[in-house]
Amino acid sequence: MATVFMKWLERRPQDYDRGIQLLTLGKLGSLQAQIVHHLIFEETRVLEIGCGTGELTLIMAQAGAEVTAIDISPPMLAEAERKVDQAGLADRVEFKVLDAALVGDHFDGGSFELIVSSLTFSEMTTQVRAYVLKTCLTLLAQGGRLAILDEVLPEKLAARLFYSAVRIPLRFLTWLLTRTTTHPLRDFTTTLSHAGYTTEVIASELGGSLQLMIASPGKEPGGMAFPRTVLGRLQHHTSLRTLLIDIWATFFRILPPYPKIEPGLYAVGRPDPNSVVLVTGNFDLTVRRLVQAIEGKVSAWVLVVDSAGINVWCAAGGGFLNAERVIGALRVSELEEIVHHRDLILPQLCANGVDGWLIRREASWEVHWGPVRAEDLPDYLVAGKDKTDAMRWVRFPLKDRLEMVTATLGFYGLIILIPVAIFLRELFWPIFISLVGLSYFYAVIHPWLPGRDGLMKSLPLALIALAGLATYVLLWEPLPWPRIFNWSLGLIGLSVFTAAELQGMSPRMRGEQANWGWEVIIVAALGLTYWLVPQALGWR
Amino acid sequence: MTEGPTLRSLIGEHWNLARTLRKLEIRFDPERCSGVWECYEVCPVDCWEPDYEGSVVIFHHGERCIACGACVLQCPEGAIELEVPGG
Ligand code: SF4
Ligand code: SF4
Repeated sequence: MATVFMKWLERRPQDYDRGIQLLTLGKLGSLQAQIVHHLIFEETRVLEIGCGTGELTLIMAQAGAEVTAIDISPPMLAEAERKVDQAGLADRVEFKVLDAALVGDHFDGGSFELIVSSLTFSEMTTQVRAYVLKTCLTLLAQGGRLAILDEVLPEKLAARLFYSAVRIPLRFLTWLLTRTTTHPLRDFTTTLSHAGYTTEVIASELGGSLQLMIASPGKEPGGMAFPRTVLGRLQHHTSLRTLLIDIWATFFRILPPYPKIEPGLYAVGRPDPNSVVLVTGNFDLTVRRLVQAIEGKVSAWVLVVDSAGINVWCAAGGGFLNAERVIGALRVSELEEIVHHRDLILPQLCANGVDGWLIRREASWEVHWGPVRAEDLPDYLVAGKDKTDAMRWVRFPLKDRLEMVTATLGFYGLIILIPVAIFLRELFWPIFISLVGLSYFYAVIHPWLPGRDGLMKSLPLALIALAGLATYVLLWEPLPWPRIFNWSLGLIGLSVFTAAELQGMSPRMRGEQANWGWEVIIVAALGLTYWLVPQALGWR
Repeated sequence: MTEGPTLRSLIGEHWNLARTLRKLEIRFDPERCSGVWECYEVCPVDCWEPDYEGSVVIFHHGERCIACGACVLQCPEGAIELEVPGG
């Protein structure tokens, strides 16, 4: 019995791989790929503590690193060695059977630019952990960093509950199947800080329980001091100010004041001289959406160019954002002193006003037109600045349409509803409901309404509105003719107004200003009808 | 007589601009095109298609054009123009 039990307890390398795969729901690999993406360059000298079966070792070697990989278990190391040999990368990797606690005895100080460790620190006792962290400080070369990928106990209550509900049964199952398990680290950033590191969590998976942390030796906030011209680090946050701006932008986006941020060079995450440079305008919402989209995924320099607080497309179209402004911002920020490359990523939507060739010629920076939407930036960068068609084309999905309708209603709603509230108080609610209902209805069915521009689309919209009125009259409340007449005119007017105004909000239509003239004519005609027809029919 | 722009002239100007914007059409000169595909790279509504064999581009979806002017500005060869046809 005992031998059977011991046999069962014995952990084979293949089991380990499968167990980890199961435990991390396959997410470990994507975080390991991020280590390679952010930290591995040609000939980076890496020490990997606890290489296990060599998954990370292999991809680091493939990316050009020179790896020294240690592990305490000979069968695991043998498996890792087999994988690396098979890939023909044996000359890039040196394997050593070694206990992590002994690393200080086997390597010279300053030998490594990067020390990585995947799911190993969580296996150590507290004391060993502190000792290894201290030793790593001496093993790291100047500017070197420690990348730790490990399981942590989430800090937020909700995340913890999720963690317990999902992880514990999963761990038990995994143990049964493969005798593999992990123990989450508790409050590891504090441990790192006590050991003398500044830590940043640059990515996480599984509700924050699997984290990739990058620790740099040094205590000062931000790890290393930023170059002189950097205004600071942009971080995604919510505060009363952002809340007020969001409310303003939701309802009154088209009205000044446009919320803006100070133009200049900023850091997102922990950028270094090889990090990408993203250019954007200084509309507060644009910058915050950009930060939200990349934070935790990419470290970058963000060059915020003065666009008068207007979004990049409109600013470039209106002449507020142009090549000269970008070149000026490049000069002032002394960016060429800070990064080692000459690649700028500009939002594609400012290509209508920013002359890329002028920047290339006058400032000797290469211009890349990034994706239309900030959310696509991480994928675009991972793909090596390669844009898929979906990243290139402007769409006008429901979410954007609703957003735009709300922004338009905030402004025009006031113009229409305030006079109504004063002069036609008894009709306020019916008019309010018609206006709001018609606008959102239009936003929803916009793509399916026939007609190429807003004015043409207002015709079917008006017909639908009239059909709605007819249904109401037939089924619920038989209104007298004069009121039906008034309501019909009102609904036609609102339809024209809604459809024509919203055209200006759609990025896929043009020349909406030409509608204004027609709107005035149609509304005047409706007004005239309102006065003349009842007189002719003798209603008044 | 008033000097400078009056409200009427401003509205008139705006109106004319909007009308012009509606009528603008792309004029593409394939002879000058060197096939850098910047136009394809920047067009937000997929008007241009690279012709991988011929090393030029094709203006294949003209009806979608919103006259944003991006391709005109980014074409290094001046092969693209936005014009009011016949005007
Ligand atoms: S003007 Fe704009 S929409 Fe028209 S083809 Fe050029 S880039 Fe595309
Ligand atoms: S940008 Fe100009 S030169 Fe380049 S492919 Fe387009 S039309 Fe041709």
